[in-house]
Amino acid sequence: MVDVSKLRETAREIISREDVRELIGYRAGTYGFRARPAFVYDPGEVDQLIFNPACVNNLATYITLEEKLPVPRGQEPDLRKVAVMVKGCDSRALVQQMAENAYERDRILVIGIPCTGVVDMDKVQARFPDVLGPGEISLEGDKFVLIFDGRREEIPKEELLADKCKRCRFPTPLVYDVLLDEEVAPFATDDYSDVEALESRSQDEKWAYWEEKFSRCIRCYSCRNVCPMCYCNDCILDRLRPQWIRRSVDISENTAFHIARAYHLAGRCIQCGECQRVCPVEIPLMELNRKLYKDVEELYDFEPGVKVDAPPLLSSYRPDDPEDFIL
Amino acid sequence: MAEATQTDFQPNIVAFLCNWCSYAGADLAGTSRTQYPSNVRVIRVMCSGRVNPMFVVNALQEGADGVLVSGCHPGDCHYMQGNYYARRRFKLMRNFLEYLGIEPERVRMSWVSASEGAKWKEVIEEVVEGVKAVGPMNKFQRRQLNW
Repeated sequence: MVDVSKLRETAREIISREDVRELIGYRAGTYGFRARPAFVYDPGEVDQLIFNPACVNNLATYITLEEKLPVPRGQEPDLRKVAVMVKGCDSRALVQQMAENAYERDRILVIGIPCTGVVDMDKVQARFPDVLGPGEISLEGDKFVLIFDGRREEIPKEELLADKCKRCRFPTPLVYDVLLDEEVAPFATDDYSDVEALESRSQDEKWAYWEEKFSRCIRCYSCRNVCPMCYCNDCILDRLRPQWIRRSVDISENTAFHIARAYHLAGRCIQCGECQRVCPVEIPLMELNRKLYKDVEELYDFEPGVKVDAPPLLSSYRPDDPEDFIL
Repeated sequence: MAEATQTDFQPNIVAFLCNWCSYAGADLAGTSRTQYPSNVRVIRVMCSGRVNPMFVVNALQEGADGVLVSGCHPGDCHYMQGNYYARRRFKLMRNFLEYLGIEPERVRMSWVSASEGAKWKEVIEEVVEGVKAVGPMNKFQRRQLNW
C-alpha cells in the first residue's frame, strides 16, 4: 500500500518545481467510498491527495483531454510538464499514447503507483448500498477493509476486486519518473477464457447475445469520452460528412457504432476497463476489446502499450502475415 | 416471403475491386465472355488499401448480403504495400464480425490479378455459394422508414 504522507510529500516537491504546471491525482469523492480525480496547481492543495483501492479512474485520459486553445499573438504556449499519477494498467495508456506520438515523453512527469488491485465500485455498491457518509477502503493482506459510519468490515479481496485486476499482468507501472512504493510482482495471468467461451457459441447465439446488449445502448458516448486512447480531434462518430454512423438509436446504428469503437481500438486498447466501468447500461464492452486484443496477440504477436517505440499495428505489416482467409 | 427457399434467394454482393488488378481481372472475365453469377455489384477503388473496414459495415447495413474485397497479389500492389495493410485490417474485421455473430462467409477477401479472369469466376462462384448457404442478411440492416 502506498503511504499517503509520502505521496503528498512527493506531490508537494513535484508541484513546487518550476517546470511542472499541473498535477493530476486522486482525492476523496463526495459520497461513500468513491474517489475522484484531483487537479493540483499549487503546493497548498496537495493535502487532499489520496491513494486507496477506490482510486479506479484512469488519469491518463486527462492528458489528451485537455483542450489546446490557440495562443494569443505575442504569448508563448505553456510547455511546462503535466505530472500524472498512474497505476500499472494506466501507465500502459501513457506508453501507447507516446507510441502514437500524442505527446513527447518530456511533456509529462509520471508518478508511478505499484498497484495491488482496485475495487469494482458496483460490487461495493451491491454489498453496502446507500453509504452516503465518507467511507474508506484499504487493502490489508488479502482482505479489503471498509470503514464507514463507525463500522469496520473485512471482505475477502476476491469478492470486491475489479475484474480487470483479476487478470492484471502489469501491476507495476511500465513507465515512471518517481515510484511511490516497492515494485509489485505480477499476481495474475490472463487466459481469455471469457472470450473463448463466447467464441465457441453458434453464430445465432452470438448475435442474440450481442443484439440484446447493443439494443440497450443509448449512445451517450461515455465509453469514448473516458477512453485514454480515444483522443482524435476529429472523431468519426461526430463527423457529418461523411456520416459513418447515423444518430438514430436503433440496432443497426448501435451495432455499427460498437463495431467502429472497438475496431478503432484494435492494437491500441490497453485493457484499463474504463469504458465498461462508465457504461450506464452495463454493456460488456471489454468483451469486445478483449476479442480484438486476443486476435492481435495471436495473429501478429503484438501487444499494445508495452513498448514506446513499437510501430502502430494497422499501419505496419509483415509480408508473411496470416492469409488463410483469402480466396 | 418467409416461404422463399434457399435456392430462390439471390444475394446482393458488394465487391470492392482495386483498379490495377482485380478490376482488370473482372474486366478480362467479361471480355472473355466468362459466365459467372450476376449477384455481384462492383465498386472500383484505387487500391484494396483504400477500403475502410467501415465500408464493409456500411454495406451490410445498407442491405448487402455479402461483401468482397479484392486486390493485387502480395508483392504486386501498384502502391507497393496497400494490399498488405488491407490484409491485416480485414483479417481482424472478419474475426471480429464473426465474434458478433455475423457469418464469416459474408465478408470475403481475395487476390485476383489482371490476367486471372478465370480465377475471378471461381471467386465469385464461391462467394455467392457461401452467402446463399447462410441466407439473407437479417441482423443489422438499416430500417426502411415509411413516413
